[in-house]
Amino acid sequence: MPITSDRVEIERKPKLGGGGPGKIPHRRGFGGGDDGDHGGPEDFRSRRQRMRRYRLVMGLCLFSVTVVFVVLTFLYVLRLGTGRYDEDTRRQIQDWIPLKLPYLQLWTNSLVLLLSSFTLELARRSLARKEEFADMGIVPPRMKRDLPWLVTTVALGFLFLAGQVLVWQNLQHQGVFQATNPSRNYFYLLTGTHAVHLAGGLLALLYAAGGRLLALRFESQKIAVEVTGWYWHYLAFLWFCIFALVHFAKG
Amino acid sequence: MQKASPIPTAPHTQGFLRRYIFTTDHKMIGRQYFFLSLAAVLVGAWLSLLMRIHIVWPKAALPFLGEIKPENYLAYLTMHGTLMVFFVLSMVPQNGFGTFFLPLQLGASEMAFPRLNMLGFSTALLSFFVLLAAFFAPGGPSGAGWTQYPPLSAIAAAGPGQALGTDLWLVSIGLFCLASIMSAINFVTTTLKRRAPGMTLMRMPLTCWAWFVTAVLILLAFGVLVAAVIMLMLDRHAGTSFFVPGGLLVSGKAVEHSGGSPLLWQHLFWFFGHPEVYIAILPAMGVTSHLLSTFARKPVFGYKAMVGATLAIGGLGFMVWGHHMFASGMDPHAGFAFSSLTTAIAVPSAVKTFNWVGTLYGGRIRYTTPLLFSVGFVSLFITGGLTGPLLAQPALDVYLHDTYFVVAHFHLIMAMAGLFAVFAATYFWFPKMFGRMLNERLGRLHFWLTLFGAYATFMPMHLLGIAGHPRRYSELTGVQYVTAMLPLQRFITLAAIVTLAAQLIFLINLFWSLRKGAAAEANPWRCTSLEWTLPSPAPKDGLTERNPFVSHGPYEYLPGAESDEDFVMQDAPAS
Amino acid sequence: MAIALRIALVLITLGCVFLFVSHPLWFPAGVSAQARPLDHDFYVAFWVLGALFIAGQLVLVWVLAKRSTNQRSTRNWYGNGRLEIGWTVIIATIFLWFHLSGGQLWSRMMSPVKEAGQLHIEVTGAQFQWYFRYPGPDGVFGRTEPVKFAKPEEGNPLGIDPADPAGRDDIVSTTMVLPVGRLVQLHLRAQDVVHSLFIPAMRFKQDTVPGMEIHSHLMPTQVGTFEIACAELCGLGHYRMRALVRVVSEAEFEKWLNAQISAPGQP
Repeated sequence: MPITSDRVEIERKPKLGGGGPGKIPHRRGFGGGDDGDHGGPEDFRSRRQRMRRYRLVMGLCLFSVTVVFVVLTFLYVLRLGTGRYDEDTRRQIQDWIPLKLPYLQLWTNSLVLLLSSFTLELARRSLARKEEFADMGIVPPRMKRDLPWLVTTVALGFLFLAGQVLVWQNLQHQGVFQATNPSRNYFYLLTGTHAVHLAGGLLALLYAAGGRLLALRFESQKIAVEVTGWYWHYLAFLWFCIFALVHFAKG
Repeated sequence: MQKASPIPTAPHTQGFLRRYIFTTDHKMIGRQYFFLSLAAVLVGAWLSLLMRIHIVWPKAALPFLGEIKPENYLAYLTMHGTLMVFFVLSMVPQNGFGTFFLPLQLGASEMAFPRLNMLGFSTALLSFFVLLAAFFAPGGPSGAGWTQYPPLSAIAAAGPGQALGTDLWLVSIGLFCLASIMSAINFVTTTLKRRAPGMTLMRMPLTCWAWFVTAVLILLAFGVLVAAVIMLMLDRHAGTSFFVPGGLLVSGKAVEHSGGSPLLWQHLFWFFGHPEVYIAILPAMGVTSHLLSTFARKPVFGYKAMVGATLAIGGLGFMVWGHHMFASGMDPHAGFAFSSLTTAIAVPSAVKTFNWVGTLYGGRIRYTTPLLFSVGFVSLFITGGLTGPLLAQPALDVYLHDTYFVVAHFHLIMAMAGLFAVFAATYFWFPKMFGRMLNERLGRLHFWLTLFGAYATFMPMHLLGIAGHPRRYSELTGVQYVTAMLPLQRFITLAAIVTLAAQLIFLINLFWSLRKGAAAEANPWRCTSLEWTLPSPAPKDGLTERNPFVSHGPYEYLPGAESDEDFVMQDAPAS
Repeated sequence: MAIALRIALVLITLGCVFLFVSHPLWFPAGVSAQARPLDHDFYVAFWVLGALFIAGQLVLVWVLAKRSTNQRSTRNWYGNGRLEIGWTVIIATIFLWFHLSGGQLWSRMMSPVKEAGQLHIEVTGAQFQWYFRYPGPDGVFGRTEPVKFAKPEEGNPLGIDPADPAGRDDIVSTTMVLPVGRLVQLHLRAQDVVHSLFIPAMRFKQDTVPGMEIHSHLMPTQVGTFEIACAELCGLGHYRMRALVRVVSEAEFEKWLNAQISAPGQP
């Protein structure tokens, strides 16, 4: 049995504090220190709590994604800088053949992605407006006229991916007459990794857009859109970073 | 109007499948991880036994297996390393015990994402089967070691297991990374968002701190390994050349690659690989701190310093990967920088050791099996750790690199110390996990044999390394000065056989106690953390009904008390 | 149990000390210029860390023996800031000194050295065989292209381009023959996978990485024959990828070199 005798009180102030008795107990209802959940299952399920949890997860994911892209960028720059060892001259030579980037296609894709970011934000706002009415189970008539922004975003996402495939094909044709070129490998690696991440976001958006079919609760739909929104905007930002990298650090 | 969604723990009346296989209950998933690791450690230990026998008696015909060939040896070596590092040392302390006890110790009713938790385990299980499938692939499993240095791992013609075996290895590790990331997301979110009221960060048991920091390390490190594994796969099958340079001639055939760099893989791999070492050892350190305090009936000495050291080790762990590459042709200046940071990491590790000793000092120590294993951990950590600063010196490391000295170092500090903490945790938490006590007498016997066995097996390896015995040699017949080391190698094999045989005692104890062990009371060790407020085994609903309110630190053991009631539960009402 | 644990830890400490004092195996005799400073550094590390090892284990034994009394002071119950800072500073100082003293040797080992009359040798690791190439009288290595020209059965395992005049007088040997006391510049390469040239007696180890040429140097100080092993897992025959270093007097080396030029292929 746990006890709370007076003896606990002696020497309550440790020099290095922590692990010891700690601070004054918090009032019930205000979580542990910063963000502890409020204990009860009702609180756990509460909309705000769920949103905060998923946001944290998205933050963690973005953290992880950032590390991966930072490492890939590091590799790109490293490879660009060092070249390879050449047998004939017995020294490092620069074998990096700059790509002729299809700028028109790339800018089109960028525009599509930017637009999709924009429509996703509109979708989020539209959902936010509906939120207070959702609990009542009605949708005000003026909001029924909201354009299907979510579906538009998904379509634009697919368009971007299709555009990327075209870019890769274009580069494939470009390389017929040359040996494997590191610059193309790294271009594929960077854009491919980005595309895979974007496809993941697209799946999440499809899940949210198909909310009605999947009998998704409004609240879950909103969380999905909100959290995927962060991811989507971040990927758009990453895309421009990659674009800048392959444009400026061309070799 | 939407109906309130069910509480994320499933109802009581469930079929076998929902209850044991497709469960979202963190306690069941914790047990699943525990048994998966047990399976992995059995395979891994069996392989190590075969390897030890092959080294000293290469021509010995074993029952059922016949003679072990050099290619089998390399396959066993790769699988032993992979199983032990991924599926044992980074799985059971973190995912096994962590999944079970993190929510309980934090006072949460469940993990933050129960279904993600389940998905994580399923993925890890799949990854385990993919890895083992390599034994049935033509050519057998990969023989390139768990580090998989290209071009050996990138070119199918470079060795017998380098075709399908290596592909399976890469797929398996990719899946394992995803599983670990899923579980790590869950750990971080649970720690930050699901603590009971009153459970401030500085009131968390040190185990929770360790699991939390480890989860952050996993998030950072495993993503990079996934990228590396995919790049290697592309090199193998899509004709890219990230890691394979041009002009190679493997087994008389020209290789169609150009312009890659093998060192790139080494950088990528060790950028993951060194934090991986801390992923394995940090939870073990957390468990040791927790147990030493519990059984010395004293608070952890310098809790804040312990937390700080955990964070410092986690942070520095990402900046030291280059010390695996001093002999690889890396820039010597980079070598010096990596050496400085590596030496720096010895400081927080030493601080931890001092604090463990400080925790034990003057305690009313109860010599239970978990305590014995924890003291064993500290002893092994000192022994294995002290060769660390030596290997951090590039000049000395260049000589000792890839010799048995390194094998001795990481087996003592990572494998043996890690396993001692796992054993301690098993003896400690078994009552809460399965409702029965493990047999103390068998436990002690297991401890004595394992402690002496571990030292007898791995200490002599230092001498092999000093005398220049390279590691990963399947036979001693190839190089003459190595052949002369046969007697010591024989001694090591005998010690290893005894040590491995001692583990049978543990297995017998485990399975016997599962059915016949003495029923455990709610708090058999008189420990303060929240999981012990529940009956044993922890009921399915966990802390859902109790709604603990935390008003005490994790290690409030009372000075001077002689009775059994010398502690304050974390959720005891504040006086 | 308490006493048994303490005795066990003391026994283990004594056992380890005995093992290292009696050391059934130890360094081979050092026969290169860097062997002596490296051994010295190792002994410094060995004594410092050995002392810390003994101290650490004995302190563990001591705290296990330290029984508490009822009226214990609880002053340091939760920790002690001064103590904490104290031991952090002490251990950091020891390790810092240790690191800096080791760093000097590293910079001496790795900084390039040049000397009149130095010898150039190209070392190539190929699966399970070492090749050592000497540039011949012209002092220039011929061009190689293994993919095109490598034919081990015709005595051209490295694929020296027959069209390159600089390559015609190159000597390829499977034994590394060195004149004593002369500085040797090594050019390390690999034909297929990563290998590692390890000469324990010379305290020398360097990976050979395909796609790179790594430069290193060596100075043999004693006549004799020593073994080379491969120290990086390179495949099936890793354990038997062995070669010999024969360190000979200057005169004998010249004789060997001339014999090679007239009748290549004889070690």
